[in-house]
Amino acid sequence: MRFGDVGRLALENLWRTRLRTVLTTLGVIIGIGALVSMVSFGSGIQHNVASEFRQLELFTLIQVLPGDIDMSDPVASGMQAMEEGVVTLDDETIRALEAIPGVKLVYPEVTFPARLALDDGASQTTVRALPAAISEFKPFSELPYGRFFESDDELSIVVSQRLLEDLGIRLTDVPEPAGRAREDTTVIYRMLHSDEVLGRKLTLSTSVVDAAALMQSVARFEIPSGDLPVREEVTELTIVGILERSGGFTSLGLGGRAIVPPETAERIPRLAISSVWDLIGGGGEDSGYTSVSVRVGSMQDLDAAQEEIEALGLSTVTIADHLEDVRNAFVVMDALLGAVGTIALLVAGLGIANTMVTSILERTREIGVMKAIGGGEWDIRRIFFVEAAAIGLMGGILGLVLGWLVTRLANVIANAYIRPYGVEPTDLFHMPLWLILGAVAFAVVVSLLAGIYPAARAARVDPVTALRHD
Amino acid sequence: MSSRARVRREHPLEHILETRSLTKTYHRGTTEIRVLDGVDIAVAPGEFVSIVGRSGSGKSTLLNLIGGLDTPDGGSITVDGHEVASAHPKALALHRRRTVGMVFQSFNLITTRTALENVTLALAFGEFPRAKRRERATSLLTSVGLAERVDHRPGELSGGEAQRVAVARALANDPAILLADEPTGNLDSATSAEIIALLRELNRDHGLTVLMVTHDHEGAREVSNRVLTLLDGRVVDEEVVRS
Ligand SMILES: Nc1ncnc2c1ncn2[C@@H]1O[C@H](COP(=O)(O)OP(=O)(O)OP(=O)(O)O)[C@@H](O)[C@H]1O
Ligand SMILES: [Mg+2]
Repeated sequence: MRFGDVGRLALENLWRTRLRTVLTTLGVIIGIGALVSMVSFGSGIQHNVASEFRQLELFTLIQVLPGDIDMSDPVASGMQAMEEGVVTLDDETIRALEAIPGVKLVYPEVTFPARLALDDGASQTTVRALPAAISEFKPFSELPYGRFFESDDELSIVVSQRLLEDLGIRLTDVPEPAGRAREDTTVIYRMLHSDEVLGRKLTLSTSVVDAAALMQSVARFEIPSGDLPVREEVTELTIVGILERSGGFTSLGLGGRAIVPPETAERIPRLAISSVWDLIGGGGEDSGYTSVSVRVGSMQDLDAAQEEIEALGLSTVTIADHLEDVRNAFVVMDALLGAVGTIALLVAGLGIANTMVTSILERTREIGVMKAIGGGEWDIRRIFFVEAAAIGLMGGILGLVLGWLVTRLANVIANAYIRPYGVEPTDLFHMPLWLILGAVAFAVVVSLLAGIYPAARAARVDPVTALRHD
Repeated sequence: MSSRARVRREHPLEHILETRSLTKTYHRGTTEIRVLDGVDIAVAPGEFVSIVGRSGSGKSTLLNLIGGLDTPDGGSITVDGHEVASAHPKALALHRRRTVGMVFQSFNLITTRTALENVTLALAFGEFPRAKRRERATSLLTSVGLAERVDHRPGELSGGEAQRVAVARALANDPAILLADEPTGNLDSATSAEIIALLRELNRDHGLTVLMVTHDHEGAREVSNRVLTLLDGRVVDEEVVRS
């Protein structure tokens, strides 16, 4: 029998028992719908993280740390590294890093705590020093308001919108996510246009241990009691730029709430993290920076540059490394979500097997007739396989539609929930082509597997028994 | 029409059907029932042969073996020059499809399909070109006198009409022999006579070889060339009516 005839017979049979076909197919639809929505949720999160990283050009960033730091225990191995006198991150190392092909920009990790004040508002935060040259890279290349630094020694500061809020200011020209104000009705913000903020002078205060006073008290064998000999230094900086309000995943270390140029940062008297070592009398100036950031021109340069940096005896971390961890976490999540959908589909498979066995029992005589008029076992088996495959295909396609509808609905609901927390609306689900094709293929395969036993049973029907008159 | 038919005419086989020492045993629990116990029959092309015998004598079993619906325990069956008894399941399906046509007491039509569709289904199994199936099925149904009933389902047909559809279906793939197992068993006497007359007409006018099982010994004698009597799985009598 030709395949066209087999297909026609199979579809006619399904049509003849359409209620049962619909119910059986419904099982597959629900199974595939569950599988697709579950997996596309896992895939969506992964996709969002990756695309956010890409958007920020974080794939061109290499974090360089002093040599031989075991990332599973950075503190202990870092201490050990310092005792053994491994490669440190000093200015010489930075020059060596700059010489590596593909490297566009090298800047040390410099952060320090400071108090920022503007008008009546004040906030204690961490200030980061970033070179003017980083304005080539996102997000600094496209500040929504103002500009990034033009030189490394200007008395300027770039602030985040989060910092402005801490200072009691909201920008009127920021598209407001609906309903955001709900959560902080007790705080009254000053609503200012970005032009009213840009160009304003902000005061940055740092606390400095008065080394001379400290030494004096130590010399007098006095334990400094009550007030430590701390002195406050104040610097005035002009706000030149405002950073984009970051979305869900961008709070990952980049930026900070306020950024100043590196030479300006150096001039600000401060209690830097590295100077804790100065106090203890550890490494002194030579202990170098805690970490240095290296920017390469493109993602393609990353691997080669990373290798060369490691050849210098330094440790490196890239977002890709982080992403690997993230991905491993997602593998587990995907597996769990996928398992739920797969179980649903396997139950649907049992439904198919059940339906087909029932229909074979009803159609025993018909199968006998088909054999008597020339149907071979192969023909009969194929008819039932095609019936199973057709249920799988229909269920797979409609299940895909169901899964898609579920994700759209869930997305609307989820975004409505997270919007009040200031998160930009994002598509939480992602349906890649492999998922679409894979889901349909999986439905067909499960259906065919479910059809194996019924088809074999149909093929084995003994025509003599089937046709014996009652 | 078909190449096989041509071969049949140009080189007429002495026997289109021949069985030798055919045995078939059914097991029911520990007891064995020897339903066929060495059956030797031979049918010449164009012959009309009837088989009679009391209930349980093994008539249906014999026809099912010849029709390739079942396989014997011993002996041989040759139909149209092909050995059937030891054939592979695939060859057996081909045998059912091309070499024999079967008609049963209980019609065995597919109830959800129309008369026409019952015939075209047989043509589909025979891989008859799809475009010509409708035409051939209609002409077959017309030749059994059912031109007006092609689109009726079996439930909308009388017993006699249903059996005519079954005959048309059995002839769909131009078989070498028609096997009819009590084709009139479910019909009243007048309708029975019509069906017997139809088989006789196909035999006489179209040279169709017919092997028919019946309970009606007298009726069989009227239309057959020979009447064989089966008893306890053996042919115990052969009556030549006309040659
Ligand atoms: N599958 C089977 N298992 C066991 N015994 C069987 C089987 N099929 C047939 N028989 C037995 O074989 C014997 C012959 O059966 P068969 O159907 O050939 O008889 P028959 O001559 O056609 O009878 P009838 O005139 O009633 O149709 C019967 O005794 C029957 O019970
Ligand atoms: Mg019988």
